[in-house]
Amino acid sequence: MGTAGEYLKSAIASIRNNKGRSLLTMLGIIIGIASVLTVLVIGDGLKATANGELENMDVLTIDVSVDASKTDKCFTPEYMAAVERSMGSSIYGFGPSVTMYGTTKGKKDDYDLYFTGVSDVKRLTAGNKIVHGRYFTRDDVDECNYVCVISQGAAIALFGYEEAVGETFEATVGEKTKEFTVVGIREDTSQDKAYAGQYGNDPMFMPDTPYTVVADMCDKDVNNMFTSASVYVYKDNKDAVEAKTKSVVENVMGLRGESAIKVKSTEGMDAVSETILNVITSVVSLIASISLLVGGIGVMNIMTVSVTERTREIGIRKSLGAKTSSILTQFLAEASILTSIGGIIGIILGLLFAKLACMAVGFGFVVNPVLVAGVVAISTGIGLFFGIYPARRAAKLNPIDALRSE
Amino acid sequence: MKKLVEIKDVCKIYNPGENEVRALNHINLTIGEGELVAIIGQSGSGKSTLMNMLGCLDTPTSGKYFLHGHDVSHMTDDEQSDIRNREIGFIFQGFNLIQSLTAMENVELPLIYRGVGKRERERLADAALNSVGLEKRKTHRPNEMSGGQQQRVAIARAIAQAPPILLADEPTGNLDSASSREIMKIIKRLYSEGRTVIIITHDPGIAAQAKRIITISDGMIQSDIINPDYKED
Repeated sequence: MGTAGEYLKSAIASIRNNKGRSLLTMLGIIIGIASVLTVLVIGDGLKATANGELENMDVLTIDVSVDASKTDKCFTPEYMAAVERSMGSSIYGFGPSVTMYGTTKGKKDDYDLYFTGVSDVKRLTAGNKIVHGRYFTRDDVDECNYVCVISQGAAIALFGYEEAVGETFEATVGEKTKEFTVVGIREDTSQDKAYAGQYGNDPMFMPDTPYTVVADMCDKDVNNMFTSASVYVYKDNKDAVEAKTKSVVENVMGLRGESAIKVKSTEGMDAVSETILNVITSVVSLIASISLLVGGIGVMNIMTVSVTERTREIGIRKSLGAKTSSILTQFLAEASILTSIGGIIGIILGLLFAKLACMAVGFGFVVNPVLVAGVVAISTGIGLFFGIYPARRAAKLNPIDALRSE
Repeated sequence: MKKLVEIKDVCKIYNPGENEVRALNHINLTIGEGELVAIIGQSGSGKSTLMNMLGCLDTPTSGKYFLHGHDVSHMTDDEQSDIRNREIGFIFQGFNLIQSLTAMENVELPLIYRGVGKRERERLADAALNSVGLEKRKTHRPNEMSGGQQQRVAIARAIAQAPPILLADEPTGNLDSASSREIMKIIKRLYSEGRTVIIITHDPGIAAQAKRIITISDGMIQSDIINPDYKED
């Protein structure tokens, strides 16, 4: 028995002697590994981007709704304030969310507006990074001030510059036109970018405004408007708060024992979209794995040829005392080296492609070390798996027949 | 003289059944330590089968083969490899060097399989190449050498780890007459240094240089004589 170093040396010599052929074999592995890795890393990037805003936020919401078939009561500002008092410092606030569709005349163009009427506590949630000015306050809500927070993109489109705090614009909703004062500019979110005409659609902006303003614009009674609202809570308190929300709200609204209140917490990412992403990633990786399989068969093919070509050499080695395991090791070393080198190049290329792709579509570039380690393991595994058949064939050759071959 | 090789009633049958070929037919043969034996026969006589048997490349269909008193007739592949490595140095007609390796690396091969460390291996390989007069060819590859030189590398490989038996299968078959004489000189010198040398040949001229001549045909030993014309060089 010789040392592992000798087998490696011999395997490297054999790869060197067949440069072109070895390179072509490696190419199969390179393409396979690179495509699998690219797909998986892009998938991770997509998930990270989609999850990002939610994962970064420390404030989650618990949705509370009243069953209209059981009671006529709604979440009035008084009730909501009472719930906030009752919950004390365990929550940030309790407020509704309502949307309103309108238009505005900008300098160059008319723009669609999609107002979100909310309580001031919404400022604590993700996607509300104020870069200029401030979010509106509880006083703005209570006094029904026509103020709003708009995105950077909206500021530039409406006023031509970003620091547009204090500027006003007129918005028309139905028959009503009112002047809104911009109190804050928030950083563009991916959603803002998506609706701001970046992908060729008509631009639409999404200002946040007090829910009382929405009620006023739409001629609705703020006391008879909301059958649902959200508790804003620090993520670590969520479970505790969720457990007591129902009874607190029932107490405040006098609805004990009528099971008219429903509580539902919102999770980080929508489970359905997570599932869809996972399905897409697995389908594409399945397709990529097929190329990896083809690469592996390439290795098997090349090793079979190598064994056939070197039958005589195997015979010589056996006549000199090489054992089955020595020959097996030599050929497996060759296959593993081929696939490992191919694997390393494939990983470099795969990460490069993934980086470029993520940059091009604006995803985050996340490299999971476990994923890379897994891909390395797979490429070496392919070498061993597909190398074993030809290597065993080599090792089992009868030395007499092997010596006789030309 | 101590018995080195003892073959008892060995048969080798290929294709057992209707078209069976009896390559070896009840062969009995004993070779002692330090003999110089030629086994001569025409092609198809069974001499190659006998040589494979002696070289532990093949196992008999029936009968026994004792090497150093140990029964080696029915061993596993790996056990046979081990015996070949320790006991037998092969010299082939076609040299059988590995083309991608240098002379030195070729000679080191059996030592690698024996597990000899790098430094000791290089020392032994060096000594073996020196003893066949190839001091200056150590880093050459087989295709950079003449037939005679290649056969000398093969001899160096066979003797590097000092096996008790040298098995030479038509050692001069691929060589011109000058190279042949040179190779036979080396082989006889190795014998005179105390090794057991078995030469398999179809050439009476080569066989005549051995001390004992065994003639084989149809898988049977026809004659086994001490060569009257043998003279020490």
